Order: sequence, then C-alpha cells, then structure tokens
Amino acid sequence: MTGDEWHGSFIRILLDQGVDPIEAQRISEDSRAEAIAARRHPAQLFGPAAAYATAVARAARPAPLNAPLARAKGPVVLRLTGVTKRYRRREVLRGVDLTLHAGEVAAVTGANGAGKSTLLDICAGTIKATSGVVERTARIGYAPQQHGVAPYLTAEEHFRLFGAVHRMGARKAVATGAHLAAGLGWRPRAGVVASQLSGGTQQKLNVVLGELSRPDLILLDEPYQGFDQDSYLDLWAQVYAWRDAGAGVLVVTHLLHDLDKVDHLLELQGAEDR
Amino acid sequence: MLLAIAGTSLRELTRRRSALLLVIALPLAFYSARSDEPGQAVRFLALGVGWAVATLALFSHVGSRHLDRRLAVVGASPTALLLGRQLALLGTGFTIAGAYLVLVAVAQDVERLWAVALLLGTTVLVAAPLGAVVSLALPRELEGALALLAIMATQMIADPEGALAKALPLWSTRELTTYAIESTGDEFLHRGLLHFAAAFALCACGAWAAAVVRLRPSVPPEPAPA
Repeated sequence: MTGDEWHGSFIRILLDQGVDPIEAQRISEDSRAEAIAARRHPAQLFGPAAAYATAVARAARPAPLNAPLARAKGPVVLRLTGVTKRYRRREVLRGVDLTLHAGEVAAVTGANGAGKSTLLDICAGTIKATSGVVERTARIGYAPQQHGVAPYLTAEEHFRLFGAVHRMGARKAVATGAHLAAGLGWRPRAGVVASQLSGGTQQKLNVVLGELSRPDLILLDEPYQGFDQDSYLDLWAQVYAWRDAGAGVLVVTHLLHDLDKVDHLLELQGAEDR
Repeated sequence: MLLAIAGTSLRELTRRRSALLLVIALPLAFYSARSDEPGQAVRFLALGVGWAVATLALFSHVGSRHLDRRLAVVGASPTALLLGRQLALLGTGFTIAGAYLVLVAVAQDVERLWAVALLLGTTVLVAAPLGAVVSLALPRELEGALALLAIMATQMIADPEGALAKALPLWSTRELTTYAIESTGDEFLHRGLLHFAAAFALCACGAWAAAVVRLRPSVPPEPAPA
C-alpha cells in the first residue's frame, strides 16, 4: 500500500465512523504532514489505517455526555428535592435532587449499596423518604429489579392482568404487550409460564409490563439483567424511543457505558453509618 | 379488575399441582384416621379442610405479595387485590369442601347432612381470610406455616369447653359438628353460628386492614410546573 492509498483508506474510514467531512480532511492532512516530516510511511508511523482511523474517530467525536438535546422539554414528571432515606443509623440517601421532564432520560448510577433501588422505590411509592419532597406524575410504569412477574402465569395472562389494572381491554392489552415484546426481540409463546422462561426473557416481560399502559413516567431498576448483547442494545433503543414519544424515563444502572445520550446522570454515593 | 385478579389467582393455584394435591390429601388423612367414629371423623375432616384452605391462602398471599405491590403502584386497589385472591381461594375451598361433603354423605350416617354442608362452608369462610391475616402479619412462608400449625394444632387438642378453644378461630366448627352429628338442641347451632360470625368478621377485617397497610403505596403529589 502506497502512502496515498493509506491516506485514502484512512479518510474513508473516518467518514464511515461519522466524523465531520471537513474535520476528517483536516485530520488526514495533519497525519500526512506528520509522515512527511518524519520521512516515514504512514503505516510505519501510525499502524494500519483502519485501526488508527477508528481510534482517531472515537477521540474526534464530540463528547455527548449530558449534552443538551435539541428537543422541547415536556412538563415535569418527577421532581426530587433534598430526598434523604435513613434506616435507623444507616443513611442510604442524602439530599438527592433531580428534575425530570417528559421526553427526558435520567440514569441513576452508583456502586452496590449506594441506594439506587431505594431511590427508585421512593419514586414508585413503595417506600417513603425520611425527609425531602417527592413530586411525580400519577401515570407511571414500574419495573422492579426482582419479583416483577408471577412465576405461574403466562406472558399473555400477565398482559391481561396488568391491562385490567390499567382499564385496557384484554385484546388491546395482549396486542400491546406482544408489540412491545417484539421491540425487545421476543415473541411470547402461548402456554409457557414465566418460571419456564430464561432469566433474560423474564426480565423482558418485566420491562414490557412496565410500559404496557404508555405511562408518562417509566421507572426501570437494572432492567437488562440476563440480557444478551443484542437485547441490551434493543432495550436502550426502546428507552430512547419512549423518550422520543414523550415519556420521562428513570433507569437505575450500574453499567456506565451507553449513557452518552441520557439527559441526566445522577451518581449516588455509597451508604454511610452514623 | 376484581374478576381478572380472581381469574389469574385461580390459574396460579391450579398450576401448583403438587401443593394442591397435598392440600386435598390433608383433610382425607385426618378423616381416614378417625373414620371409625363418625363424629370425630367429620370434626377432624372439617378442621383438615380449614387447615388446608388457610395454608393455601397463606402461600397464595405470600407468593403474590411482590406482584401485588407492583400492581398497587400502578393503580390497583389493595382491597380489590385482596378480594380477588380471596374469591379464588374461596372457590377452591368450596370445591374441596363439596367433594368431602359427598364423601361424608356416602360413607357416614349423619343426623343432619345439611349442617355438615354448613360447617364445611363456614370453616372455608373463616380459613381463607385467616391465612391472609397470617401471611400479611408474617410475610415469610415458614413463619406463617408454623403460626398456622400452632393455631390449628391447639384448636384440635384444646378442651372445647375451655376459654382457649373458644378464643381460636375454628371453635364454631366443633360446635356445628356436634349439632350435625349428635341429637342435640339448637343451642349448638346458635353458639356455632355466633362464633363463626365473630371469627369471620375479625379475620376478614384483619386481612383487609393488613392488606391496605402492606400494599397501599404512598402517592406523591403531582409536580408543580417548572
């Protein structure tokens, strides 16, 4: 491969990786100038064009973490002000503040025991904050980390049961549930109860039940447990689709990657004994 | 919503086949052990039905608590959740009781068969909410099962005339069995029905109060506009 061919391949891969054409041209010219100055073949100086272009493209991509999104914010669906939770002498949460609008995604991260699930349970209303103010919309979807499904019911029976609570007709509930399941790459089979599903598929059912009624606010507690890589990507695609459809989404996660598109990143500190 | 909860609860119960078979076998074992004495056989059969239904209620409510909390968070009323599950349990209990009534009718020469139906029915009506009360007070299966064991075993061995037996929930079953089997006056029927009414009211109210306390989520106010 000649030097020109190397540079041609380099700029093409930069463009494929989503680098702005003007920026790609500038980077290519800089690398050409460096190779000439060093009087070496670019492959000797930078290595293979594909590997170098991938690394440069990653660095050149604008950092989108917490970047403001070009979307109109909806009304506030969740507001936490100075929320604290204490179990006897153990303080789990201290002074948590968050304002989440419709059409936004917030990720709650932190180490094990940092109070992520406790915060989600406070938002859901299953436990009460020791102090602070919680305001949230009434129409919520909630997918807890554990025990979110009934082991002796089929997916269709789950859809009917949750549909009845949301005052949906049985047919509509089943059709909506099947549609949402397809978005996660899963087609529920008739007659198979939840305990016969794999852990990842049970979790998909859990997530689908949380979204069945198209709520204004969706609360998800580590919803990807047991997911394979494709399902994990499908889940995040689903989360952003809910956001784009106008829902507020609060996701508890301990995985720090794939958070580049979230609107709020709330990192909780560990527990503290007093 | 009530019917949907009752329907799914009934499906869950019928799919726990081994548990259901054991529940059905318990009264039969009690009955068989005393089948030579009609009075005792019916008395133990009824207490066995009560124990079985209460245990089924305990496991049903403990097993569904997490799901019920989730349903309550998204809008289900704790009262509807309790009533739906109780309807399914009562349906199962009455079916088991009905089958054993046929057995008694065929195998025993009882004075008042209708009273046997009455005592089996009242036993089921007390046992289902009793299991719910225990499950909501003791949220783990082992502790709940041990509590029921203590209640039922004491009910079986306590002197029926003593205050302890009368303070237990199925004393009415013993009184109504005496009325059904032996040629006694109506006082046994009246005392039995009175005790049943009190025990049923106490268990039903206790179960309802515990369900509301355990399942009702706190509902935060709507956010003020930004």
